[in-house]
Amino acid sequence: MTKISTLSDAVASIPSGAHLALSGFAITRCTMAFAREVIRQGISHLTISQCVGAMDADILVGAGAVDRMIYGGGSLDRFGRLNCVNRGIEDGTLAAEEYSSLSVTFRYLAGALGIPFMPIRSLRGSDLMSQLKERSGSNIANITDPFTGEQWPVLKPLLPDVAVVQVQAADKDGNSWITGPRWDNIEQVRASQRTIVITERLVTDETIRQNPERTVIPGLFVSHVVELPFAAHPTSVYQAYDYDAVQIQAYVEATRTPDTLRSYLDQYIYGVKDHWEYLEKVGGLQHLISLQADPVMGY
Amino acid sequence: MEFDYTPSELMAVAGARELRDGEVVAVGLGLPVVASFLAKQTHAPNMTILFELGVIDPQPVDQGVGLADPRVWYRATVLSSFVDILGEVLHRGRVDVGFLGGLEVDQYGNLNTSLIGEAQGKFRHMVGSGGANDIASCAKRTIIIMRHEERKLKKTISFITSPGYISGNDSRSQAGLAGGPSRVITDKAIFNFHPDTKQMMLASIHPGTTLDEVLGTMGFSPLVPEQVPTTEPPTQEQVGLIREVIDPRHMYMG
Repeated sequence: MTKISTLSDAVASIPSGAHLALSGFAITRCTMAFAREVIRQGISHLTISQCVGAMDADILVGAGAVDRMIYGGGSLDRFGRLNCVNRGIEDGTLAAEEYSSLSVTFRYLAGALGIPFMPIRSLRGSDLMSQLKERSGSNIANITDPFTGEQWPVLKPLLPDVAVVQVQAADKDGNSWITGPRWDNIEQVRASQRTIVITERLVTDETIRQNPERTVIPGLFVSHVVELPFAAHPTSVYQAYDYDAVQIQAYVEATRTPDTLRSYLDQYIYGVKDHWEYLEKVGGLQHLISLQADPVMGY
Repeated sequence: MEFDYTPSELMAVAGARELRDGEVVAVGLGLPVVASFLAKQTHAPNMTILFELGVIDPQPVDQGVGLADPRVWYRATVLSSFVDILGEVLHRGRVDVGFLGGLEVDQYGNLNTSLIGEAQGKFRHMVGSGGANDIASCAKRTIIIMRHEERKLKKTISFITSPGYISGNDSRSQAGLAGGPSRVITDKAIFNFHPDTKQMMLASIHPGTTLDEVLGTMGFSPLVPEQVPTTEPPTQEQVGLIREVIDPRHMYMG
């Protein structure tokens, strides 16, 4: 059975209420086209997890698709805060389970390894710890090290239903290359039930087999492969294209109030049929080519 | 020869002076990046710079808008992952120095980057931890850099995102944490911590600033020794490197 899929079909495979691990980090390799299609299809009551909150999660929260967020804090770098996530937390419409980057990573890693819990040095003595115990007490506990008698906080494995990962290259079976840093993506894939790969470029089986040491996602984890250029726009994909500063700034401005956010969603999501229409809307081929990365610099 | 420098440049230089050659340093963007690159290009060429998302020892030629900007990954020796950097380097115990900024710090060096109190008991939610809690918990020592303002240097902070000496004395080691903050660098002074009580203690005052100016703009009273030296000013070479090489577009220095 082929894994090659349209974005629309891959998104339709996700039931409302699912837990998604998204590959974005602030404003880079965010699963933006995927998030826009989730919003268009009206999938809701999602749980979103990622080590550092990013633009893909923020837009899903802003559109009302998310009930719960498991993350380690985050921002849109110099462009601004995660306005939708923060507003959701402040007005109580979003349940946030807030950790540090490493503690979310360790929850994925425990899930990936199939071990029952993961001890961690972090979180001790902080209000992150007391808040987690109060709000999500079943995901964090203490244990006595059986070898030394020391007390350790332990984290419950995180087992998302679907990891959605933006990559630079993949073959038809989902064997994928991520160029540049990979933050939590490797552990997200391995902890999840299955993975949807969104790739800038579909490459041949032969390309993968000539360079197998570059494969960071083995196809065995992957259910869908979606080839879609500029799928992370307006965020960057290392070695492919730079972030679109004008469009990210427009998003930050739009997300300051629910009303301006609504018109942003109307313009860029509900008002366009698909990703291709979206790309025309933000400036089309001429604009997108101006974002293409220099092969040496990577941006 | 006389030359001018800004308070931010003095802070970056003071941060750089805290770093020793050969150390492994975990860095966030902004002044810590300037301090680290400055140290590396002057007295600490064998220092290793880490960014949490999986970047080791980059040599950027362009300034970035944050850690997610590929400009700051340029010419790295390693591009890897959180497990690699925050896990197998930091959690393993190999990070000598963590550089942290914050919205609020208290007298024990606890940092808040999560919540800011507003009127009527409401809170604004901010950026949270990222790797800051992990760095504050696991690095052998941390250096805090922030602006010297009463609303930032507070007796009680709204939320402890990243632990310093918690409630002082041995409360940090009781919690199972080694390390802790060694310096707080502001635009008026440098502080360290009392060896026993772990209260913040004035270490030096920047040139042109008075003791009253330092103490009058803080929300708590630090310990003040009888003799407080003046912070060593930056050299012309250090300021030149910041302006011409490290941050020519003023992306980090503000």
